[in-house]
Amino acid sequence: MSELLRVEGLSVEFGPKARPIRVVDDVSFAIPAGGAVGIVGESGSGKSITSLSILRLVPEPPGRIVAGRIMFEGRNLLELSKSALPAFRGRDVAMIFQEPMSSLNPVMTIGDQIGEAIKLHEPLSAAERRERVIELLRLVGMPDPASRIGAYPHQFSGGMRQRVMIAMAVACNPKLLIADEPTTALDVTIQAQVLELMKSVRQRLGTAVLLISHDLGIVAETCERVIVMYAGKVLEQGDVRSIFRRPAHPYTRGLLQSIPRLDDDRRRLFQIAGTVPMAGSVKRGCPFYARCPLRIEKCAAEMPPMFRYGADHVAACWVTAGETGAPVASAGAAA
Amino acid sequence: MSSDMAETATAAPTELPPPEGNAWRIVLRVLFGRPATIFATILVALFILIAIFAPVLAPYDPLQQSALDINQDPSSAHWLGTDQFGRDIISRLIYGSRNSMIFGLLSPTLSAIFGTALGVIAGYFGGWTDRVLSRVIDMLLAFPELLLAILIAAVLGGGFWNVVFVITVAFIPGFARVARAATLAVKEEPYVEAAIAVGVRTPVIILRHVVPNIFPSVLVLLTLWTASAIRLEASLSFLGLGTQPPNPSWGNIIRDGLNNLFGSPWPIVGAGVAITIAVLAFNLIGDAVRDELDPELAE
Amino acid sequence: MLRLIGRRLLDAVPTVFFVLLLVFISLRILPGDPAEVALGDTATQDQLNTLREQLGLNAPLWQQFFTFVWDMLRLNFGKSLINGIPVNDLIAQNLPYTIELTLVATFIGVLVGVPMGVFAARNRGRLPDSAARLYSLVGYAIPDFYLGALLLIVFALNLQWFPINGGGDGFLDGLYHVILPAITLAALKSAFMGRLTRTALLDTLGKDYVRTARAKGASEARVIYRHGLRNALLPLTTGLGLSILSTLSGAVAVELVFNRPGIGSLLINSIAQRDYPVIQAGVVIFAFFVVVINLVIDLVYLAIDPRIRVK
Repeated sequence: MSELLRVEGLSVEFGPKARPIRVVDDVSFAIPAGGAVGIVGESGSGKSITSLSILRLVPEPPGRIVAGRIMFEGRNLLELSKSALPAFRGRDVAMIFQEPMSSLNPVMTIGDQIGEAIKLHEPLSAAERRERVIELLRLVGMPDPASRIGAYPHQFSGGMRQRVMIAMAVACNPKLLIADEPTTALDVTIQAQVLELMKSVRQRLGTAVLLISHDLGIVAETCERVIVMYAGKVLEQGDVRSIFRRPAHPYTRGLLQSIPRLDDDRRRLFQIAGTVPMAGSVKRGCPFYARCPLRIEKCAAEMPPMFRYGADHVAACWVTAGETGAPVASAGAAA
Repeated sequence: MSSDMAETATAAPTELPPPEGNAWRIVLRVLFGRPATIFATILVALFILIAIFAPVLAPYDPLQQSALDINQDPSSAHWLGTDQFGRDIISRLIYGSRNSMIFGLLSPTLSAIFGTALGVIAGYFGGWTDRVLSRVIDMLLAFPELLLAILIAAVLGGGFWNVVFVITVAFIPGFARVARAATLAVKEEPYVEAAIAVGVRTPVIILRHVVPNIFPSVLVLLTLWTASAIRLEASLSFLGLGTQPPNPSWGNIIRDGLNNLFGSPWPIVGAGVAITIAVLAFNLIGDAVRDELDPELAE
Repeated sequence: MLRLIGRRLLDAVPTVFFVLLLVFISLRILPGDPAEVALGDTATQDQLNTLREQLGLNAPLWQQFFTFVWDMLRLNFGKSLINGIPVNDLIAQNLPYTIELTLVATFIGVLVGVPMGVFAARNRGRLPDSAARLYSLVGYAIPDFYLGALLLIVFALNLQWFPINGGGDGFLDGLYHVILPAITLAALKSAFMGRLTRTALLDTLGKDYVRTARAKGASEARVIYRHGLRNALLPLTTGLGLSILSTLSGAVAVELVFNRPGIGSLLINSIAQRDYPVIQAGVVIFAFFVVVINLVIDLVYLAIDPRIRVK
């Protein structure tokens, strides 16, 4: 499978230049064409900012992209000029967001909003656009699309609005769809529907998907590769099954242990001790040090590089690298 | 201005988080936090001092006319010259500050008390009381303050207590609206429900629970509208509906000045600058109070 | 939708009634006898009684009130006590000048203020923004009559570019006379509209749907105008309504400064002369304006916000 998008050493800072807060630190990963990759992490892990960086949607004050490259079809997206961005956004790479109500313009009809996505990139006549919009609405499973075209966002339910967002995003047949917590604001049953929809869109259009979520279950279900982020750094990444079956990093292990199971007869739910460190407060070493049950002194002094644990499975941990006897040959960035 | 009244009233906060630190530290932080505010605080203090010590500071009796000295240019004897009646302008300005300070500070405070009372009653008791009061408040709020003041003053005429009354009434609806909204929010709080359940009597609940919690919102408005009140008094005096001549008020000094355009521009310039600076200074302090107590409204 | 309009219209009725009640009560509690004022000290008791009968002052209070309301609604304002001219004539002469002033001032104020606000929002935190903020601060603080007086002194008196007073005859002459007063009012208005536009625009630009628009590939200009400003229109409309009302009340003072005919100067002069029928008419007319403008703003809001319009 060829590589569609490659992120290399991305670092993003916020705050005053004198005392910056690094919210994304040396993040690298790749997305194969037509593939499904998930970024998993708690709030504050930097996963959203990472995804926003691809389309350069990070608000420029107060944020700054300070290092790295994002390679897409041979071009470094971070070097695109500001005037070239609008042409690029929404066409080859599209994005949907967490809150469908506030993410849709309340005074524009959904037909106009989806139509705008088309109008911005393709020279179709108004009638052709209308046809295309109806087709897209049908694709995302909206009942009776022709009559709903003139409706406003507040007239729809949360699940329907998210479908509209998806329709808007795939309007120009993008090669990559970034979905930032698309189901977090929805009911569980609607969640399943939307995920199903994303899967079917993927199949029909061959779009690659980058799914951001704090929910391991969703990621396990929909993605082929997963990236685990914590406090701005990538701690583990690789093939989904390999990571879930044999998690290498203590943090990932903790996350998986935290998922309650029906067949569990423990009295209390498992919790990773401690709390996520404040952004930028960990200056040296592994950010998980304070909460890690396996920590050694070296972990506080130096951030471990990536060690290989499988064909498509790397993690950054001094301790488990020795533990599983995996060859201590670092694989630099992504698999 | 009705504009800034509506600006703050429509964005009425429900309940504000208590500011950090004890009262003194907050006051100091507000008054001396930013360079602009320090400057404004000094100016306000100056105005208040001038108003208090007017009899000592003014070189001449503001009412004393002198047929020999009309329309004199600024000189060492008369720092801003004299007007068409031979009265010393500086002295009139100094005494005029008394009116501005009194009306600017007294009336809004009265408005705050009455308006808050109305708003709390409407918000707390609900039902018909609320509906009727709200209706009246909304109707009054539809009028710009100046117009409301003019219309009332048209009927009552000028004079000290009338002006106090007019300015007080002009701001009551604004306070009432915000106090009502804040009361509604506080009423829903669990500790109020608990107090009611335990059997605490209504007046006690209102005084001990509702009022302290709506206090920050009311205070923000009070400081912001002091500037508006000064402006309002000046406008009314200018129109002849406020402080009656020959008592000096910055507003009627400008009015007299307009009747004496060819004689001397100094009364107009002096009084106008005084009003502008006073309103500006109070506005800046009001902004600082608002930024401190209610960051959401800040820009 | 029609129902909503109907509701708004119905809501206006109690306001009008309430205002008339207030005006009636306040005018009746005034000390002094209108008949005496009109006829002066030398009037005989018979003359006073006749006039009182004519003015309906001997009827019971509630009857007077209904006559009053009926008169007001029919726009029958009676005659001036000072010179006997029918008040309606006085109003007809003066009203157009006030309306002209308010409209021109609003036009200029919006034309200057809104772009200034957009400019300030786009350059947030930088020099243009600070300059706009300074302009607003000073604009709020300067009383309109002071600014008017300054402009009068500089441009009319000293430079003689503009007339010192009056309203002018005919269209062009009228424009010539309205410029200085309108600029006076427009200065304040543009300061307010500028601030409001900046705040409203920054607020909408921070919303999620603007981020979506950018993600779709909309150009910065399209984002600011089609998505940002278009949504900011809602608070801007309300603000504009308030601003028009403020301009109207400011017109009273400005008409005085420039010695310009208008309902404002008519009202103030009649107050000084205790000319009750004129005072009454002036108060009622201003109150009507307030009600009407509020109503219009409400209706405009209904029209442009689909969330209310379309259930």
